[in-house]
Amino acid sequence: MNVLQLIANGIMAGSILAIPAIGLTAMYSVLRFPNFAIASHATVGAFAGWVANSVYGFSVLPSLAIALLISGLVGLLTDELILKPFRSAGVITTAIGSLALTIGLENVVRLFFGNDLRGYDLPLARDIIVGGIHLGPQQLNNLAVSIVVMALVFGFLFFTRMGKAMRAVADNPRLADIKGIDSRIVARIASFMGMGLAGLGGMLIGLDSSIDPLTGFRSMLPIFAAAVVGGLGSIPGAVAGALVIGIAEELSLLALPASYKSAVAFIAIMLILTLRPQGLFGREAN
Amino acid sequence: MEIYIISMCVVAGIYAVMALGLNVMWGMAGLVNLGLVGSAAAGAYTSAILTKTFAIPIPLGIMAGAIVAAAVGAVLSLVTRRLKEHYLAIVTLGFAETIRIVASNEIWLTNGTDGISGIAGPFRADLTPFQYNLVYLGIVLLVLLGLYVCCQRISYSPLGRVLRAVRDDDMVVSVAGKNAQSFKLKAFSIGSGIIGLAGGLYAHYTSFISPDLFVPLLTLYVKLSLLVGGVGNNRGAVVGAALIILILEGSRFVVPFIPYISPAQGAAIRELFLSATLLIVLRFRVTGLIPEPHDHPVIPRPGTATAGTSIKAF
Amino acid sequence: MNRREFLSASAIVAGSLCAPGILRAETVIKLGVLTPLTGAGASDGPRMVKAMQAVVEEVNKAGGVIGRSIELVVEDDQTNPEAAVRAAQKLVGVDRVPVIMGTWASAVTSAVAPVCWESKTCLMTVSGADSITQLPHQGYIFRTQPNTALQATKHAEYIASVGAKKVFYVAVQTPFAATMREQIASVLTAKGSSLVGGLIYESNKTSYRSEIDSAIAAKPDFIYLNSYSPDLTVLLKDLYRAGYSGGRITQSYAYTSKVAEGIQADVTDGLITVQPSSDVGSEAYSLVQKRLSNPAADSYEAQATDWISLALLAVQKSGKVVGTDIRDAVRLISQGGGTKVYSAAEGLKLLQQGKDVNYDGASGNCDFNEKGDIMDCRFRYSAAKGGKIELIKIV
Repeated sequence: MNVLQLIANGIMAGSILAIPAIGLTAMYSVLRFPNFAIASHATVGAFAGWVANSVYGFSVLPSLAIALLISGLVGLLTDELILKPFRSAGVITTAIGSLALTIGLENVVRLFFGNDLRGYDLPLARDIIVGGIHLGPQQLNNLAVSIVVMALVFGFLFFTRMGKAMRAVADNPRLADIKGIDSRIVARIASFMGMGLAGLGGMLIGLDSSIDPLTGFRSMLPIFAAAVVGGLGSIPGAVAGALVIGIAEELSLLALPASYKSAVAFIAIMLILTLRPQGLFGREAN
Repeated sequence: MEIYIISMCVVAGIYAVMALGLNVMWGMAGLVNLGLVGSAAAGAYTSAILTKTFAIPIPLGIMAGAIVAAAVGAVLSLVTRRLKEHYLAIVTLGFAETIRIVASNEIWLTNGTDGISGIAGPFRADLTPFQYNLVYLGIVLLVLLGLYVCCQRISYSPLGRVLRAVRDDDMVVSVAGKNAQSFKLKAFSIGSGIIGLAGGLYAHYTSFISPDLFVPLLTLYVKLSLLVGGVGNNRGAVVGAALIILILEGSRFVVPFIPYISPAQGAAIRELFLSATLLIVLRFRVTGLIPEPHDHPVIPRPGTATAGTSIKAF
Repeated sequence: MNRREFLSASAIVAGSLCAPGILRAETVIKLGVLTPLTGAGASDGPRMVKAMQAVVEEVNKAGGVIGRSIELVVEDDQTNPEAAVRAAQKLVGVDRVPVIMGTWASAVTSAVAPVCWESKTCLMTVSGADSITQLPHQGYIFRTQPNTALQATKHAEYIASVGAKKVFYVAVQTPFAATMREQIASVLTAKGSSLVGGLIYESNKTSYRSEIDSAIAAKPDFIYLNSYSPDLTVLLKDLYRAGYSGGRITQSYAYTSKVAEGIQADVTDGLITVQPSSDVGSEAYSLVQKRLSNPAADSYEAQATDWISLALLAVQKSGKVVGTDIRDAVRLISQGGGTKVYSAAEGLKLLQQGKDVNYDGASGNCDFNEKGDIMDCRFRYSAAKGGKIELIKIV
């Protein structure tokens, strides 16, 4: 098998994973718990985008924006109304509360949309061949969307007041508090952004395949794996982690049957975390 | 009706055993394990393979399953010894998925996705289904009682005290001259062993196991059992397991009364109901229905202040 | 209004509101449905429920079975053996149903099978694992899905007959994936073409590009896609992108008319779907098409129709609503020298007149061997064209 082709495929797969992984890690950095509800929000975003695209006839880019907006709003609301009260009870209680929430939201989607598979209204293009490597235009578009989104997230964090406030809260909540940063607003922005990115990622995944109420749940483990390998709380880490997971899964085909794909990803995580317990880009925890 | 109630009690009992095992790890030592189905799978497969291939008696098979699960738990604990809790959560989740994938692929050992059927049950051939369920309920209750007593003793033993200290502040443990790592290892393998035993109990009860059984959903149910019952509390583990089965099964009888919905919507409502009930219980009783007893005059109740594994961002 | 008047008035009101309910409570026959409504099989379960409900409605309108109306008690197996066992215990313990229909995943069927045979309840399933009918089930299991050997042989013969020389086999990890590959390979070789390779993939991934690349590297002119719907849509798109232009075949339950709505037509044009079928002249399938208003009713809808029809006819034949009697009666109405019937309603009418019937189903003749497998069937081949699924032929 062509190794370069496998790596290219891995980068494509990883770049889609990177978006929700960034969302997860951004939320984590401010709210300090692994939010499993990211799975159902990816589904919510995928369906919101589907309604915009297939029912109201919007083209893909505006539909992606709608996916981001709706899942971000749902994320903001569920966090305010459901998860916030859990946070005083500790990290793991909140994390498990978020697991219960993800089951709930998945079934709200099921209740209204049923279990049928749905596809977006989007012409499919054949691959182009560059230097002997097949590249799908749709995947290249997804890659471009991913890169733009990553750039926007970085721009937001480093060049806007709110972004800087977010980083300050992530770095040291108490100090940020002294400096007069309203951590409640920062928390809301983080929820909106994190879940919005999850929803965007959900729709990107759906563009390549099809969507149903389990869309987000299917991708939950790789998303978490990406964020953890990169170092929870680190945005460059989430991108690197997603690429590591994507490429490791594809390269595993060289040595193992395809039915072992996810296992390889997990073994890669274990290896990386054994060598660097804080993940690739995570700073040493105190 | 009676046979249904008895069989649900058996399942609840097995959930309770798993919740007890989880409590040793999570409740007492504060070790997150989202991969407990991996331990259950290790126990169930060991016992099923040994009793089927080598015809060893069922109790020995279940014991062997528990030992293998404990050993696997110990190895996992060693590999992950440097990880902080959020990382541990995802690694254990991945561990369980890896076990499931291996069980699906290594057909020579596990019979692959076909699963292993015809696993022996105690006196199953000689009893009516009703009697069999009753006998098995007796066995499960005995095991549960025995383990409950053991866990209570661990809880109040020097080991239990150290484990709680490890959970709340492992610096204190190190200062006291104890090796926190070896205590974590002990807690992880005891807990995994108990969960492996529950896996064995389940395998011999239903007579069939397959990789599909050991999915994250089951982990979630057990985790929620302990959380609802009260983390750090053995009584809570048992009560929580009973409650989870009550919610899971009770909702079957409520949903048919909702008019104008399709069966698929009914199924969705059932799961929504489960999720909502759990969120409500957790919301208003954050410590679970039966909170961990806490009567220290000075040291505050843990959980509120310990969330500070402040990982620096960006 | 005094108390007595009030009571009788409210009784009348209540009675008129739920008269059918009261009538049902006394005479209703409850049959169990255990099928995936959530989890991995959730896109298939609801279709099967609908197909069964359609038959029940038709029969209830025509007067029911042994003078009683039918009610389906539907439980969700969550595509999970543990949840399924609890649901099955409820169906046999509380509703005391004599038959459970609709299990999908092989692991679920194997898990609930002991509950069924120990409580003397029939189990009707689409699960493909050959091991299921090998269980010591004392005749309680009926599987309308052809076993691996039968499917693999017939499908491979068809593939060879359309002139394919180099065939590649792509399958999701299931109990029948590997055995099917071997059987296909040997039939193809006997027919002068060959299996150039095969791979078994992990379900639920969002991309199968590399798997597809490795399949195409073997330069096949035909690919057998043994998948379920969510993976199939990904595989088809990846095949299209990679520029593959050879033949493709898959099961009708993976490429249903609903799935077709969600994929671009040019991706699927030429895709062949296959499903078990009865003889060319049989009306059973066209009755399903009409009942479900779906010109491309798939294999699962056809099989679900057959389970409920067989169960109802067996109840009528034995005159009892008992699992063991249904088990013994199924072969009396599904095979033998009786008048051929193509729907439950038609068969019930004849049975009530004391005549013998031989039910010919939408998914085949429904003649069962002693293990509960169907003995033989034909296959219905269709092709995707412009988003529609059109019949090619029945062989």
